[in-house]
Amino acid sequence: MKRLLFLLLIVANLSAQYRSALPGYRYVFPRDHFDHPEFQTEWWYYTGNLRDTQGRELGFELTFFRQAVDRTAPPATWAVRDVYLAHLALTDITGKQFFHAERLNRAGPGLAGVAESAGRIWNGNWQVKWMSATTMELQAIDPRFSLNLKLESRKPPVIHGENGVSQKAQGLGRASHYVSLTRLAVTGEVKLGDEVRSVTGQAWMDHEFFTHQLESEQVGWDWMSLQLNDGRELMVFQLRRRDGRVDPFSSGTLIERDGRTVRLSKIRMTPGRRWNGYPVEWTVEAAGLKLFVKTRLDQQELVSAQPQSPTYWEGAVAITGDATGVGYLEMTGYRGAVSFGQR
Amino acid sequence: MIRLFVRLILRPLRAEPVRTLLTVLSVALGVAVVLAIELASDAAAGSFRSSIETVAGEADYEATAVGGLDEQIYARLATLPIAIKVRPRIEDHAVLVDTKQSLPLIGLDLVAHALDRTSASPTVAAKGELILATASGHKAGDTVTLRVNDHDHQLVVRATVPSETSFAVVDIGTAQRLLNRPGKVDRLLIDAAESLEPALKKALPPGITLAPFGARTEENRKMLAGFRSNLVILSYIALVVGAFLIYNTISVSVVRRRNEIGILRAIGMTRSAVLTMFLAEAAIFGVTGILLGVPLGRLMAEGAVGAIGATVQNLYVSSQPGSIALSVAASLKAVLAGLVVTLAAAWAPAREAAAIAPVEAMARGRKDYDTGIRQYRDLMIAAGCALLAYLAALMPPIGRRPLFGYLAAALLVLSAALATPAFVHAATRLLRTLLRKLLGVEGLLASQSLDAALRRTSVLIAALITAVAMLVSVGIMVGSFRETVIQWIDSQLQADIFLRPAVPATADRFPTLSLGIAERVAALPMVAMVDQFRAYSIHFRGLPVTLGSGDANVVRQRGAFKLLEGDPDSAYQAMLNSDSAIVSEPFVNKHGVHVGDVLQLPLGEQIRAIRVVGVYTDYSNERGYIIMHRARLLRYLPDPAPSNLAVYLKPGAAIVPAQRAIEAALADARVLVLPNQTLRREAILIFDRTFAITYALELVAVFVAVVGVAGALLALVIDRRRELSLLRFLGAARYQIRKLILCEAGLIGLLATLGGVILGGVLSLVLVYVINKQSFGWSIQFHVPIAILISALTIIFTATLLAGLYPARVALSLNPIEVIHEE
Repeated sequence: MKRLLFLLLIVANLSAQYRSALPGYRYVFPRDHFDHPEFQTEWWYYTGNLRDTQGRELGFELTFFRQAVDRTAPPATWAVRDVYLAHLALTDITGKQFFHAERLNRAGPGLAGVAESAGRIWNGNWQVKWMSATTMELQAIDPRFSLNLKLESRKPPVIHGENGVSQKAQGLGRASHYVSLTRLAVTGEVKLGDEVRSVTGQAWMDHEFFTHQLESEQVGWDWMSLQLNDGRELMVFQLRRRDGRVDPFSSGTLIERDGRTVRLSKIRMTPGRRWNGYPVEWTVEAAGLKLFVKTRLDQQELVSAQPQSPTYWEGAVAITGDATGVGYLEMTGYRGAVSFGQR
Repeated sequence: MIRLFVRLILRPLRAEPVRTLLTVLSVALGVAVVLAIELASDAAAGSFRSSIETVAGEADYEATAVGGLDEQIYARLATLPIAIKVRPRIEDHAVLVDTKQSLPLIGLDLVAHALDRTSASPTVAAKGELILATASGHKAGDTVTLRVNDHDHQLVVRATVPSETSFAVVDIGTAQRLLNRPGKVDRLLIDAAESLEPALKKALPPGITLAPFGARTEENRKMLAGFRSNLVILSYIALVVGAFLIYNTISVSVVRRRNEIGILRAIGMTRSAVLTMFLAEAAIFGVTGILLGVPLGRLMAEGAVGAIGATVQNLYVSSQPGSIALSVAASLKAVLAGLVVTLAAAWAPAREAAAIAPVEAMARGRKDYDTGIRQYRDLMIAAGCALLAYLAALMPPIGRRPLFGYLAAALLVLSAALATPAFVHAATRLLRTLLRKLLGVEGLLASQSLDAALRRTSVLIAALITAVAMLVSVGIMVGSFRETVIQWIDSQLQADIFLRPAVPATADRFPTLSLGIAERVAALPMVAMVDQFRAYSIHFRGLPVTLGSGDANVVRQRGAFKLLEGDPDSAYQAMLNSDSAIVSEPFVNKHGVHVGDVLQLPLGEQIRAIRVVGVYTDYSNERGYIIMHRARLLRYLPDPAPSNLAVYLKPGAAIVPAQRAIEAALADARVLVLPNQTLRREAILIFDRTFAITYALELVAVFVAVVGVAGALLALVIDRRRELSLLRFLGAARYQIRKLILCEAGLIGLLATLGGVILGGVLSLVLVYVINKQSFGWSIQFHVPIAILISALTIIFTATLLAGLYPARVALSLNPIEVIHEE
């Protein structure tokens, strides 16, 4: 569900031009794994915990964003109808290093975009390529490191919220369409420096599209994808309000071993130790479980070099308590409120 | 020792402030000119890396193609699964209509690569707006009119970037629209490790050049090296003239102090101490001159940079002059040159001072100036130098640099300097009777005193000869060149009317006309034919060249299709029917290409084999031309927009009404409609502007020489105060004394002019046939611009005469009684 975003201080864009996320949306896969240009904002998140053959622990994040800018622009090659932002991060947990990179493009002559026919979502030479209805390849290259991963989904897509919408605030359309692949088995290679490492692990995919933006009293969110060793997964998020309280529209989903989902509205997320203002340890109470979520490395903050994109914390976490496992934690709005598009 | 130095050297200097000042001034000017040229040519020619590079960043490689790269290649490289970063760029020029300022127009992918220091980039891209350098004088929010090629566009300035040089940045899509280059980018800047080069090359079509970033800058530097070295050598002339003057000054100083030196030597001063003492005197001139010269040079560079910049733009490459930076290297070079020249010039007289035997100096009776002059021996050496100069002039260039040509010129100057005493001696003897008849007894005395003080006067005359000779020789060279160009223009410019976009064009910048303009002109009733010429700046064997295309049929029928090499008929047929080209003479000289050779040219995305079928004369730029038939080149570079049009009228059609009709038909386009006469005048104007800097350098050298004449005459007067006073005692009137001094000045001027014309004539041959030919490859017909030379020489002669006025006044102010008392 939540997930950050940019706030390109772009052109006036009237959300009236775009479609809202309304209840009753009928998902069709694999079509709905690709883009929905009639919605203003869309993103695909891939995060995962990996381990190489020597036991080195790694975490990765590869994210593609699409933000509609101007649908009135003529469909010329260089028209800025949408902008595509992408984030790439690698956490070397064992080596205690964190790398991240970002890029921004328009579709241009093929610089970035989503092509359902080719099964591709890409931004420059970072891409996701769907090989079948349940498998995909991730490829991302940075001068310092690169990823070449094969992902195989072990569970059907999870649709969060109720009746096809994940509500973010009171009112019709103040919601998003939110779908996840919660258990992706990973094999592949991670190149770090000059060394190529064979890796295996678990990944998670989030895909969300919507037109509604955060309410002005909502300053940010804390989101977790937790993959438990007992075969279950848990997604929880809370929206934080300007007055410091937690927004009532915070919620979550429990995914059973067989893929059945349970919507969670009563969740409790208690921040613990902080690093640089970010709570990097949490106690999560949901679905009758009490879990201790701890970061696997403090420094997993993505600091943007560009004023257009936000600075946030997103990183690999380990789970103890009533169940064990690994996951990813995202925290936004700790360095100023998050906004999409224009406020 | 210090006290001795103060007494022997410093005091006399102080006693004659004007003379000291003039000598210092000559060194200062020499150093200043050397520094000014160095700084100015650095600023004008050295700063190809435009300020946009500092704003938009550099890269490891750049990919370029003639006619531009397909934008798809950008996406192809950007998505290659290797660690690279690619940035596209479009580069051209535009004119800000309100201020008539021409500035680089840069198209960048402003979404992917937001410009430093402005966060507005993606908005600029989305809205088709503009980012301007602050130097343009506009603010964010202004709407400006930008003239691109032959169209005006209104754009909103979204942001400004602090910069001293002007430029405009737009998004790549906006640039394509403004320049009418859909689907194309000019360059791709690529960041990639060297190990990825093979992968990059594999991903690019063969006609695309992948070169390390900055290679183009290097090429430009290489191309300009010849031009620069000629300019730099020219700048040293003033310093060489200054050297003669230092030599003269120190010689005077030595001669005058013979007695003191003799005494000092007798009481135990060593030779080396004497040597050091006089070298130190020279060093005082040198150091003071340098201290004045460096700031002066910095100042003069401001003036020179415009002139040099114009030359560079006309002949080679468009580059906005950068800001002048007083670099340590350039300053050090000028300082060193100043010191070395001063000390070298002072070496001979200082050594002579050291050689004075105590006995000789103590002896009674003044041994005067003529010591040490061995006319015959010097004349023999002079002849030897001249012979060597002749041999050097026959040698081929070294690496396209006429090093032996320079050597020949230097040897000729040396030869002239050595021959000057004999020349002055012979000339004064010859002129003696004539002078007496014309100018009376003062004329006779003047000629005799020149001859008597031969040692001193000859150095002075040699200095002036050098300056005059440089003026004459460069004057003849430029004059010959100008005449040749005029004749060439007459034969070349056959069309009646020419059209081009109303924006500046330079040697490597070819703005284009919109499509349809040629057709609209051709449809006018008085127009017989229209030739569309298109030019591209391309790279051939690591050097920039202009690739052009025109209609061979039109040129054949109406224009000038004359070839230096190759048969016009078969060349014409070959151009129509095959991948053939004619090339310009400078191109041939530069690349050693001949008729029948095949050139591998990158055209579009492929390499094409183009056969050379003819060589033609061209003086319009030094880069060289490759010309193909329009229809043939369009196959490979399909952009049909012409750079300019040559319009031929029907027989009997008058030019002025035709011009009006064309202007009326094209009222909506920003084009210049130039009648043949106007273009001709413009070409000559450009030519003269191109050589303005050479004239300026010459004038400084002459000025230094004239200053030297004044200084030396002053010394002569002071030394001869006994003689002059005696003349007064013997009844000479004041006006006679003045006349005597002016006669001497005039005689010096006359002899120097004579000698300068002779030496200059010989030097001009070296310049025209050796140095110019070897460094630029232009055939120039010899032509003496008599009127210009005569007026220049008259001015110099008058200036020398005027230089005698002050010494004459000093001579008159001497009190004869006091002077005789001294003795």
